[in-house]
Amino acid sequence: MEFFRKTLDPVFALAAIAVLDVFLFLLLGAWTVGGGETMMTGLMAQAVLGDDLQRVPFWNVVFPPRADYWKIYISLGMLFGAFAGAILSKEFYLRMPRRASEWLMITIGGLLMGIGIRMAYICNVSTFFGLLPEMNLGGYLAISGILAGAWVGSLVYKKLLEG
Amino acid sequence: MSPVVECLVAFLFGSVVGLLMQRSRFCNTAALRDAIMFKTYRNTKAMLMAMMILTLAFTGFMSLGGGHPMEFDVGLNTFAGLFLFGIGMVLAGACTVSTWVKTGEGNVGALWALVFTFVGMFLFSLVWSWNWWPPAPQTMTGEPNLPALQLGFANARTLQDKFGVPAIAFGLVQFAVLLAIYRAILRRERAQQQRHERHQKDAAGQEA
Repeated sequence: MEFFRKTLDPVFALAAIAVLDVFLFLLLGAWTVGGGETMMTGLMAQAVLGDDLQRVPFWNVVFPPRADYWKIYISLGMLFGAFAGAILSKEFYLRMPRRASEWLMITIGGLLMGIGIRMAYICNVSTFFGLLPEMNLGGYLAISGILAGAWVGSLVYKKLLEG
Repeated sequence: MSPVVECLVAFLFGSVVGLLMQRSRFCNTAALRDAIMFKTYRNTKAMLMAMMILTLAFTGFMSLGGGHPMEFDVGLNTFAGLFLFGIGMVLAGACTVSTWVKTGEGNVGALWALVFTFVGMFLFSLVWSWNWWPPAPQTMTGEPNLPALQLGFANARTLQDKFGVPAIAFGLVQFAVLLAIYRAILRRERAQQQRHERHQKDAAGQEA
């Protein structure tokens, strides 16, 4: 099928996703990823720590773990959709970062993303595809933050590439 | 809607998004990083297009009292959290979406980033449980709370309530700003293309 042979124009893809996001906004709420990831973190922590997790107030007060939280399934759906797309277009293969410095950057980057999402109560998806289109004050604060962060991150990245 | 149906709708939405992301190679990180570092805008244009459509649709439905807009207080934590996130996504080479999408393509680095995003979230949950900042959703009032560095809550619907002007009017202003940025990018790309063609012509002339 042609769809799985050629790269799709991202402007078209994001326009289609925006239309779907409008339906999601009407049914449940705008597209978000960070909330689902937090709930998954809570569920995994509960599986490992059991009742000891109750001693961490965050998981009682802000995000009591539950598996029927709809935002979890957006992330799982994205994983499934991308996997299906990669298989059908014969683009699935294992890719590994080669250098230790790449592993280190990814580790620090992942930690910062997790800490940032929880500190802000939102992620980049909610920022661009939820809060800003709702003209939420948080959207403007978040965009200022992510642009400044991406700029600092790019400087660090450039330095590391040159080094 | 029952929780099961909600989860099914969310899974269906996510599946289509994952497929479209995989086939288009769209990346939110690249939308910001490439514009800053390489002055290329393939992903930036796509993100702006989505934001324009969503601004019109969301504020349109919010004018009529429809939709499920997010409601929580924002403040310094919103800026600082996304600042850390911005650094993190450039270093990791992926954001919340592309970690899932690239993992689905077999990218072990993206899976590693995802695992450490979970670890980062858990670490922050420990810090939060020690200092209880930012305030828990239950204690949010929608009003500024300066001791807690919170500005309160405001969106297109609160603007409509305050000024008596439909939310879509504010949405149209934001749409015009986004469109102006989009058109500026197109102009810049055309100028880059013309420069490139001139260089090629000059090089061909020198060879002849």
